Amino acid sequence: MAAAPLFIVLASPEHEKVQLAGMMASVAAVSERPTQLFVSMAAILVFAKGLNAEARYRGGAFSAEMLKKGAPDALELLRQGKMLGDLTIIACSMALDIQEWTLADLEDGLFDEAGGLTKFMSDAEAGELIVL
Amino acid sequence: MSTTTIDARGSYCPGPLLELIAGLKLISIGDEIEIWSSDQGSVKDIPEWIAKVGHQMGETTEQDGYWSIRIIKSK
Repeated sequence: MAAAPLFIVLASPEHEKVQLAGMMASVAAVSERPTQLFVSMAAILVFAKGLNAEARYRGGAFSAEMLKKGAPDALELLRQGKMLGDLTIIACSMALDIQEWTLADLEDGLFDEAGGLTKFMSDAEAGELIVL
Repeated sequence: MSTTTIDARGSYCPGPLLELIAGLKLISIGDEIEIWSSDQGSVKDIPEWIAKVGHQMGETTEQDGYWSIRIIKSK
């Protein structure tokens, strides 16, 4: 039996939660489980184009250690999930509007589209929903 | 049958699994990958993923500070 699709809302910009979102989304996607990641609220700031790791990843007791020890880069995990599995990443259109950003302001090669919460929530009725 | 070795030692979860999956895309059915991982979670995570997607597990052996895990591509 096919696994239920996984839907993840990432609202926190905290490094630990971004890292966990990258881990969960990539592993689910490569495990033949269709996965959608909806990036909203302040989490959108993490995906700004052109930041270095120190500027991008902040917050949480594990953040400094993960950077120091060379834990996989969260955005790179998401790229691998997209390349090797079925992963769709949606930028919350409200968060973009608040920032006065478009998809062009976000890191290349990650986002499939800008979208609204209503469509995402409707899609999520078909699977499991996790909010970070 | 050929064997490809992937050295994922020093890579944290889920790095070894993702390196394995990328490697499986490059080999033929029946070929084998031996992956070296120092991430202790890989010893359980990789067999779980292999069972889920339908490849075949080979031998897992503990070496000096890492594990050698063999996988045969089955589909």
